[in-house]
Amino acid sequence: MPYTADVTDQVYRYDGSFQGFLCCIFESFSRREIPAGIWPPERGQITFYGSRDIATDPVQARRVAAGLRRLGTEVRERVVRGFLSCNPEKEMILLRFVRLCFNLGPGAARMTGDPDVCAAFDLERSVNNEAAKYIEFIRFEQRGTLLGAQIHPQNSILPLLRSHFCSRLPDEDFLIYDATHGVAMLRQKGQVRYLAMERYDAGSGQEELNWQELWKRFFDALTIEERRNEQGQRNHAPKRYWQDMCEMYPREF
Amino acid sequence: MELADKLEILADSAKYDVACTSSGVDRPGQPGSLGCCKNAGICHAFTPDGRCISLLKVLYSNACCYDCSYCVNRKSNDVPRATFEPRELAELTIGFYRRNYIEGLFLSSAVLGTPDHTMERMIEALRILRREYHFRGYIHAKTIPGASPELVQQLGLLADRLSVNIELPSEASLSLLAPDKKRSAILKPMGQIAVQSARSREEVAFYRHAPAFAPAGQSTQMIIGASPETDLHIMNLTEALYKKYALKRVFYSAYLPMNSDARLPSPATRPPLLREHRLYQADWLLRYYHFSASELLTESQPNFDPYLDPKATWAVRHPEFFPVEVNTAPKQDLLRVPGIGPKSARRIVSARRQQHLGMEELKRIGVVLKRAQFFITCEGRAPVRATRREMAAALLDPKAFGIGVQQLSLDDFALQPLPAAAPAVHELVDCGMDPCQAAREVRQEALQCLTRQM
Repeated sequence: MPYTADVTDQVYRYDGSFQGFLCCIFESFSRREIPAGIWPPERGQITFYGSRDIATDPVQARRVAAGLRRLGTEVRERVVRGFLSCNPEKEMILLRFVRLCFNLGPGAARMTGDPDVCAAFDLERSVNNEAAKYIEFIRFEQRGTLLGAQIHPQNSILPLLRSHFCSRLPDEDFLIYDATHGVAMLRQKGQVRYLAMERYDAGSGQEELNWQELWKRFFDALTIEERRNEQGQRNHAPKRYWQDMCEMYPREF
Repeated sequence: MELADKLEILADSAKYDVACTSSGVDRPGQPGSLGCCKNAGICHAFTPDGRCISLLKVLYSNACCYDCSYCVNRKSNDVPRATFEPRELAELTIGFYRRNYIEGLFLSSAVLGTPDHTMERMIEALRILRREYHFRGYIHAKTIPGASPELVQQLGLLADRLSVNIELPSEASLSLLAPDKKRSAILKPMGQIAVQSARSREEVAFYRHAPAFAPAGQSTQMIIGASPETDLHIMNLTEALYKKYALKRVFYSAYLPMNSDARLPSPATRPPLLREHRLYQADWLLRYYHFSASELLTESQPNFDPYLDPKATWAVRHPEFFPVEVNTAPKQDLLRVPGIGPKSARRIVSARRQQHLGMEELKRIGVVLKRAQFFITCEGRAPVRATRREMAAALLDPKAFGIGVQQLSLDDFALQPLPAAAPAVHELVDCGMDPCQAAREVRQEALQCLTRQM
């Protein structure tokens, strides 16, 4: 797809926030150029590219956000969800996708045969899939009045778990700790907050251990040995999720 | 008896019930209650046999007064017996649900005294869950054959999905193997549920707060391989059940020998897992691919090919239908191409409104082309040229020749045929052949046979 923009050898550096990323989109349009990369602050290695710092300006960000809204939910969701991904190239993938959508209109989101759209689609899909897996595999434990859980996701999926668990546990307070990114989502008295957190210690109350023991015995009892199919098990519940699922810990003999 | 022991016994007795789905109803959470339901259903764990755990699957009691020959809980078996208290079961469900272990409760039961008495106890447990704990999660309840219609009515108002097990595919097998169960006693509640569920859906459409009767519909299951019925018979029965009783699902359960009985296959038989797999594939073709049972099997070929899935078998028998042009063919035709499923078909249809699709585009869309490439054209051109043998090799189902490490004991790392491999592979290995060589030989033979057919 030919762009009405030059490809430059400049790298955009932004503050890593979604607003900052929207400002990078603004910059790319106002200068009619595609940067060589868009880098968050933590990616700080020296390169041959020249770099330009993009300041986060709420006014510009709002203009781009309004433009995305005009393109419909499909495009907007893809950009918002794709941005939660851990892919280091996500900003460039989304920038190319957004430029294409502004050129061709909302229907461009369904051109999944196009390389740029396909890349953005894959980004969104991998984030959605991981969020869906964690909705299945999170294991809460009772800690006083709070339900606590720890997860190790690759993408920052906490915001995607929010509505599900708020709807499911309307009267409960809970905390989900994302150990990869050091962020926790705390819901207390109907309010949700995101907190930076350093570590999470698993609860060790006897009653809680009894519940886990009960669950493990149920899990073991339900297995039919004659149908053993561990490959099938790993396909549905890949091993990287097992560290957060108490029934998958090795049993003591 | 301790709760943990009870749970273990009653889960162990319930594990042969196949249904563990939580789909078919969308119910958001509500302050003052606990839980919600998602239409697509949610699995929460996967056991080492590859099956999902979505619900707390237990029997209310396994102290049965019937003596069905295939059943592990039959009266004449010497197994530990246990029975829940209604409140105990409700508390267990809530405790598991809050910890996100499960999506709800699957409650079945052995016949405890009389069918009516059993149903009353089950209803009491569900009533405590729904009315006292305000539980809005999923409940799947089995009705007990022979229970009175009023109790079925009460159960349906508390549960999301009801099911009545049809147990065996024909009346003759039923009266031989399960003499206490009558076919009419199974079909009567099934008809009642179908009628009431449809009526309740109408009422809910008019009055939002009308009580919902089994909003997620009903399902059933039957045992495969304990009786001599053909696949054609089973598929015709399945189709009739979907049409007549508007069932959501029919489940098949490969017969596992647990009792030795002259009326049953010998205890050494392997569970026919591959056959079960083929039946599920065909079941999907009926529900999502617009196939009918008569297209899949005929009187002259009443059983599925073990080495080829039912859709590929149909495609091989109907060369006149292909190739299908991906840029213009209707969605129903796309669904008939081996390798293209509902998801790929939907993506193709939505993408081709925006752009022409060639081979590269199809790959990016995510269509798996290993088998599909022989049956499609992109803008009039066939994507590949292949000999009949190459096509046959791509079509054969690798599952039928599966070899792997099945670690049944701690120091056992030898290669073996996987449980779902074709019976021929198992037989050769039983005769002492090396598993890899057995799989290779069976595959060669199947390949030659298929190449000749094409």
